[in-house]
Amino acid sequence: MDVIEIKNLTKNYGKSRGIIDVSFNVEEGEIFGFIGPNGAGKSTTIRTLLSLISPSSGSAKIFGKDCREFGPEIKKEIGYLPSEVFYYDKMKVIDLLNYSASFYKKDCSKRIKELAEIMDLDLKKRIDDLSFGNKKKVGIVQGLLHDPKLIILDEPTSGLDPLMQQKFFDLLREENIKGTTILFSSHILSEVQKMCSRVAIIKEGRIIKLEKMSTLKDNNYKKFKIEIDTSIDKNYFKIKGVNNLSVKDNVITFLFKGNINEIMKKISSVDIANLYIEEPDLEEIFMHYYEKEG
Amino acid sequence: MNIFLRELKAHRKSLIIWCICMVFLIAASMGKYEGLSSSGQSMSELLNDFPKSLKAIFGMGTFDIAKVSGYFAVMFLFIQLMAAVHAAMLGADIISKEERDKTSEFLFVKPVSRTSIISSKLSAALVNVVILNLVTFISSLALVGKYSKGEAVSGDITKLMIGMFIVQLIFMSVGSGIAAISKNPKTATAVSTGILLTTFILAELIDVSGKIDFLKFLTPFKYFSPDTLMYGGAFGLGFLAFSVLIIAVTFGMTYKFFSARDLRI
Repeated sequence: MDVIEIKNLTKNYGKSRGIIDVSFNVEEGEIFGFIGPNGAGKSTTIRTLLSLISPSSGSAKIFGKDCREFGPEIKKEIGYLPSEVFYYDKMKVIDLLNYSASFYKKDCSKRIKELAEIMDLDLKKRIDDLSFGNKKKVGIVQGLLHDPKLIILDEPTSGLDPLMQQKFFDLLREENIKGTTILFSSHILSEVQKMCSRVAIIKEGRIIKLEKMSTLKDNNYKKFKIEIDTSIDKNYFKIKGVNNLSVKDNVITFLFKGNINEIMKKISSVDIANLYIEEPDLEEIFMHYYEKEG
Repeated sequence: MNIFLRELKAHRKSLIIWCICMVFLIAASMGKYEGLSSSGQSMSELLNDFPKSLKAIFGMGTFDIAKVSGYFAVMFLFIQLMAAVHAAMLGADIISKEERDKTSEFLFVKPVSRTSIISSKLSAALVNVVILNLVTFISSLALVGKYSKGEAVSGDITKLMIGMFIVQLIFMSVGSGIAAISKNPKTATAVSTGILLTTFILAELIDVSGKIDFLKFLTPFKYFSPDTLMYGGAFGLGFLAFSVLIIAVTFGMTYKFFSARDLRI
């Protein structure tokens, strides 16, 4: 069964672009990645799903029901973590969470305590005394406290330190094992890779790719930057799997896809001063897709 | 119910401050009256020699301010202005604040319809307006009564407060309507108070000029003014009907536009 069905969803903001003809489905029980650079339309899509804004055309269904017509009903089972969390500044954390819980007709007090403990959140502090990361934690607890069947996360990790990110991901996996469906929006490829089974890539308002994570992993590019003291042959690194090779003075950069051992052997036989191996940023991945399409 | 209680709590502090200011305004003015009345008729005679337009500006065109009822009628102009400012700001604020404080991604993803959110918010605003009205009513009765020297004032005060309540409702509903239409939540309060001050100035101009009475229906401050309500006067049915119409239309607008429009996030 599809938990989310989005069909030809379009949203125009006056003259500026919102999203164009976005369609994808999220199946029950999966963690679905929704990835794209900032301003690509991830938040617009999500806000349309939550009927915070209304689509110009197209439709979206959640749990098989139109998300505008049945908004209040389907929202009972949705937990949402916005990309920027803002709450009533003068409230205490616990009061805010209880207020949030009061919208769902069940007792959430035990779950609030559990989640706060996992996320290491001080419930007695006032919202405006919290740091950005701590506000994000409030957002996480607030989004999960009513045991929703669908969790929608918009850039959930910004502001969280790596340890908290790890705890948060563990929490999500636990929820997922219990059967919860998760829509995970992010501009960081690696965290989507870690979590998701399928992924939709959005750019400039359009979905440009809908793929299984396993397929995307085969396209697992790494970005290499090597600094050397001596000069080497320009074509030394020109082996299978190397793309966008550039040699400038003593700095060599390229993208690599393939068996990582081969390239490491190649590097180890050169006297290097410094080495950086990074995830390529999204632009580069997108470039790759555009090239393939073109 | 939870939103209603939350809003009451959120506005509690500001309501208390408004009430204190209101009581202080009435108490301070009545203190002045004490000084005025002890100087006897002379003050009244002096004021009678004021040019008509000047008297009109202070709202004391037809009143004998040596009498406590006349003095209160003049003061009522400012009491009503204050209550109206409170109502207009409250109406605009309570609808627009989620967007202004960026909390809409909290409240509007909860399993409640926008219609019921508006209803809860407007009910909370109504309670605030009623409380300010009652505080004004009670403190007026008490403080004016202290100086009334047997003059029957409570009937007139009651009538004025009912009139003021309708004016409060008008400005609250106009404020909420503007907040519902307004795309920028930060401007809603400013626009509402702007409209309020414009109508207030218009009311003054009507008093001063004396020739543009036909414009009265444009300014709620003239619907139930002391010169028509006091000394046995009655509420004008036309103005009452028009008030109900304004309130119904602007509340209707609030529901219609706020339920349909994109939230600014």
